[in-house]
Amino acid sequence: MHAATHVQQGSAAPAPREPANVIVLPGQPPGVVRASPLPTVKPVPVTRLARWVSNNALSAVLWCVSLGALFALWYFGTKYRLDFFIRFANIPTPAEVFDKVFEVNKSSRYMVNIGISVRRILSGFGIAILVAVPMGLLIGRYRAARDLLLPACEVLRPIPAIAWVPMAIMLWPTNEISIVFITFIGSFFPILLNTIHGVNAIDPVLLRAGRCLGASEARMFWHVILPGALPHIFTGFAVGMGVAWVSLIAAEMISGQFGVGYFTWEAYSLISYSEIALGMITIGVLGLACSGLIRLMGKLAMPWMVFSAGSNR
Amino acid sequence: MSDVPKGQIDIRDMRVVFGANGNAVEAVSNVSFTVQPGEFVSLIGPSGCGKSTLLNIVAGFVEPTNGFVKVDGAPVKGPSANRGVVFQQYSLFPWLTVRQNVEFGLRMQGMSSGQRETSARTLLGLAGLIAFENHYPDQLSGGMKQRVGIVRALATSPQVLLMDEPFGALDSQTRVVMQEILTNMWQQFRISVLFITHDIEESIFLSDRIFVMTARPGRIKAEIPVPLPRPRTPEMTATPAFIALVQRLKALIREESLAAMGSELKDGGLSGFGMSVGPNGVAEVM
Repeated sequence: MHAATHVQQGSAAPAPREPANVIVLPGQPPGVVRASPLPTVKPVPVTRLARWVSNNALSAVLWCVSLGALFALWYFGTKYRLDFFIRFANIPTPAEVFDKVFEVNKSSRYMVNIGISVRRILSGFGIAILVAVPMGLLIGRYRAARDLLLPACEVLRPIPAIAWVPMAIMLWPTNEISIVFITFIGSFFPILLNTIHGVNAIDPVLLRAGRCLGASEARMFWHVILPGALPHIFTGFAVGMGVAWVSLIAAEMISGQFGVGYFTWEAYSLISYSEIALGMITIGVLGLACSGLIRLMGKLAMPWMVFSAGSNR
Repeated sequence: MSDVPKGQIDIRDMRVVFGANGNAVEAVSNVSFTVQPGEFVSLIGPSGCGKSTLLNIVAGFVEPTNGFVKVDGAPVKGPSANRGVVFQQYSLFPWLTVRQNVEFGLRMQGMSSGQRETSARTLLGLAGLIAFENHYPDQLSGGMKQRVGIVRALATSPQVLLMDEPFGALDSQTRVVMQEILTNMWQQFRISVLFITHDIEESIFLSDRIFVMTARPGRIKAEIPVPLPRPRTPEMTATPAFIALVQRLKALIREESLAAMGSELKDGGLSGFGMSVGPNGVAEVM
């Protein structure tokens, strides 16, 4: 998106802007920019900033409204102990949860739990990528691989990762491995299916182009099929990461020692209301950070996607 | 066969049947012709006449039912960088920049990145695209994409260039410019070209010889030499010789278009459909 604005900048000389400049130049009267006799000399960075702000100001306001409304519901609900079918009677206030953040950080227990959960996510999700992407590429490319591998996957796929918990505990030597396994199961299928779909969605003319430019089958995989399927593979990563967190928290609540899910469940057992809320918020923030990381990786891995049709984000 | 000059396409007794038994359709029937080294040959005919199928066979994407294709005496077995292909659809890899697209074939040959860059930049310079070497395909106009497509196909120094209605998706202004660019590049490379089109003026402007194909099953109906001098200029399209060729080809193709539309339209049936045969002929209506 930044580069796209760049291109437009290059072609369109920065003519004096209308009301947009007025908003972002608090120190200057609006007339300064508009009356400038040589608008092309200096104001390039100013107009660029102005455009960015004017393009994003409304978004920023709406974001604040969205988050503010959620926070206000929590704040006023707990302040006035609202009771209208939804009961705020026992819900901790924002201040109590905020205090809890400092309290739990007095010992290393809270941070250790976070570290362990993140480690489990990275292991389970990482192994899922290493298995599901190559498998999906093969299934998408070869009919024999499809017939050999897909039926088994399709039979296992409808079983939710949480339903694997008892079996996983029996299956694997340690509790830790079985939790990683459940995280793996959760993210495996979204990544696999999106990779297969990505291979099938490659424009056949690109495959022909690769072949008639002399690409061997092995090189086709690396240079055409993988990059061609990459946008869908990253969709699989985003979906898979979400499911991985759902599966991890459930597994930690049921069979865990350590982890954010265990922390939250333990707080419930100990009737520590503000720790429940803190656990939930921690899970939310970690999930948000992980999907942000995947989006960032996607942007770095696919710089061309900025220019493809329908990506005006 | 070793003394066959470079860039000769030899098509012999070609027959293509799609489907099996009951619903088999003969797409190409008994086609034989030779493209001489350095020659520009167009195949023209009504839609569905099997001209693209023929090109796909030369490219190695489709196997003929009978007959064979030899390029410089070697039978065609699957796609190869010896035969550059330019497709009608945009076929640049969207994840590669313009220069990386042009380098693709050379990279597959194992050329070092320094050499690749030098030769890709030389070619892009010839096509007037050097300023766009670091752009992604989605940043280019349709005409520029096809120019890069031609450059990419030429980068591996193929023996022949196969072009399947490469300008079919472009507007008529861009088309004319692209035709000029193509003739210029062709004259520099002196490579034989097999060009598929349904545009009569385009085929005359570009070609040394034109083969008119019949409606399905596709056969060679006529071979029309184009004696116009080179280099060709857009002004030539107004000369009597050019116009005479246009008229001759239009008449040939009109017959085939009518045949392709079915026998019920042959005896004045056009009026029943509310269509009229205008100055551009029925082929244009289709």
